[in-house]
Amino acid sequence: MNFKEFIFVGLEGLRNNKLRAFLTTLGIVVGIAAVISVIAIGEAGKAMIMSEMESFGTNLFQVYPNYREGEPYRPVNFTKQDVAVIKKIAPEVKYLAPMKYDQGEVRSTIGKKNTRIIGTTADYKHIRNVEILYGRFFSEEDDAVGKKVVVLDEMLANDLFNVENPVGERVILQGSAAVVIGVIKKTESAIPGMTPDNYAYLPISSMPGGSRWENVGSLFGSAASKEEVYQAMERVKVILERRHNAVDHYAVYSMEQEMQTVSKVTGIIGLIISCIAGISLLVGGIGVMNIMLVSVTERTREIGIRMALGAQRKDILIQFLIEAIVLCAVGGLIGILLGYGGALIVALVLKLPPLVSWWVVLLAFLFSAFIGVFFGLYPANKASKLDPIVALRRE
Amino acid sequence: MIKVSNLRKVYSTGSVAVEALKGVTLTMHKGEFVAVMGPSGSGKSTFMNLLGLLDTPTSGNYWLEEREVSSLNKNELASLRNQKLGFVFQAFNLIPALTALKNVELPMLYAGVKPQERRQRALLALEKVGLGERLQHRPNELSGGQNQRVAIARAIVNRPSVIMADEPTGALDTKTGEEIMEIFEELHREGTTIVLVTHEPDIAKHAKRILRFKDGLLIRDEEVTNRTISSEEEVNHEL
Repeated sequence: MNFKEFIFVGLEGLRNNKLRAFLTTLGIVVGIAAVISVIAIGEAGKAMIMSEMESFGTNLFQVYPNYREGEPYRPVNFTKQDVAVIKKIAPEVKYLAPMKYDQGEVRSTIGKKNTRIIGTTADYKHIRNVEILYGRFFSEEDDAVGKKVVVLDEMLANDLFNVENPVGERVILQGSAAVVIGVIKKTESAIPGMTPDNYAYLPISSMPGGSRWENVGSLFGSAASKEEVYQAMERVKVILERRHNAVDHYAVYSMEQEMQTVSKVTGIIGLIISCIAGISLLVGGIGVMNIMLVSVTERTREIGIRMALGAQRKDILIQFLIEAIVLCAVGGLIGILLGYGGALIVALVLKLPPLVSWWVVLLAFLFSAFIGVFFGLYPANKASKLDPIVALRRE
Repeated sequence: MIKVSNLRKVYSTGSVAVEALKGVTLTMHKGEFVAVMGPSGSGKSTFMNLLGLLDTPTSGNYWLEEREVSSLNKNELASLRNQKLGFVFQAFNLIPALTALKNVELPMLYAGVKPQERRQRALLALEKVGLGERLQHRPNELSGGQNQRVAIARAIVNRPSVIMADEPTGALDTKTGEEIMEIFEELHREGTTIVLVTHEPDIAKHAKRILRFKDGLLIRDEEVTNRTISSEEEVNHEL
């Protein structure tokens, strides 16, 4: 028999065992499709979280007072001069803004709302890539003269005013009047809680307590470039320690470090997802194994007949090998298509990027194919070693 | 054509060894029509399977067309079965998934015959056994007699030296059985060597020589002169 005829005999075998072919294919399809779509969803989620974090800027870093457990609380403050000096002598620090958090009531002519208030400087706009919908963010001049201006985020603006553009309107913020000069565009985020909503931003100098910086919780900074982040962080820390004569009283974190933490978490999630995918692959594989074992064993008599008529062991093995390969290839192809489809649908529904890594496809396919071929050949090989008369007597 | 000497077969199932064939020596010539008779357990089927190279003897020698074949390997046996032997079984042993035509083509597939020639020869063989139609039907769509015709066509299609028929009429009614036996007689007239296993005297009477087996031994080897064959009981009584 030549190769073409082997293929023909193999295909004939499949055509004549349609249910078995269907069930085997189904096992492979389900296994591969499940793995591809599950891993694609996991990868997409991971990518989404990372891109979300990157949109904050990877050059970002934060400076906090360093409280250590067991030590007495030593108050450290950030001063206006700290920021000015750092920006002056550390060129790697491009922007640096204080973050003074407060909470209070904001009233407009038509409503009032309890909101979170952030006192900062004009640098904040650059550090967080703030997108302005109407008006403008406050400027250094506004801050320098302690102008009573406020920037609202889109959600807060909608709650307080029934006009589209509230720039120029007045609000009463914690009892004192301020003019709305800008509205920050709401950033679309698929991750709940990632977008800061209901915030009012003031120049720090116009906050109650004037330009005193006692309650500044942290500094937000951005380095001149991604490569200079750690250098910038270190400079900031050293300068602060020297100016306050307080070694070890400041802690610096970069967004990159935070991202690493997050990526560790998403890595664990990914691992769990991979395990689930692996289990579905295994279940599919066991299905394939069962069908192959049963259906090929069932054909021991057929193998006996073929051997009685002159088939050699290799003829039998090649026939069953081709049957198994065709089943696995067809099943694998359908599985890959369905998996891609599933990943695409989920991606569309959740607005995630559809990500299917080729190695997942390859791994899932090779695994299923190996199972299919091995457990298709194993009983065929066993039967082909029997004396024909023994194989013929099997029912 | 066929020569066996002291052919033995021992089956060991677990700890029990059963001696199915206890040393058989005989010669068959080309063109002979031999019936092998005997009660069940007499070793006639074992003998047949050894002659058919479907099973290997425990000891003894077997010459098929002057060639010692009792110690050949599986691949050599497979190609001998393919080239020299044709089988007809009681249970037909057709491949259920294949059409009648495909079943007949099967031995030629393993012989490396080209597809077109395979088809032609299969059609001729089927015509010869009287099955000119229903060739695209599968065994479960054919009657027992039709299935056995397909099986005979399959047995003769590679032009074998010997046809081995193991109870070929066992699953058929008397009338159909007679029709099948006529095919064998026709093949015999054309010079084909036929070895037929049966326990029915009416079937055995078509043969020209009868080998009687009992308890694993060849107990009688007789020419058929008249057309009356004694049954197993009568032979036993005689002995």
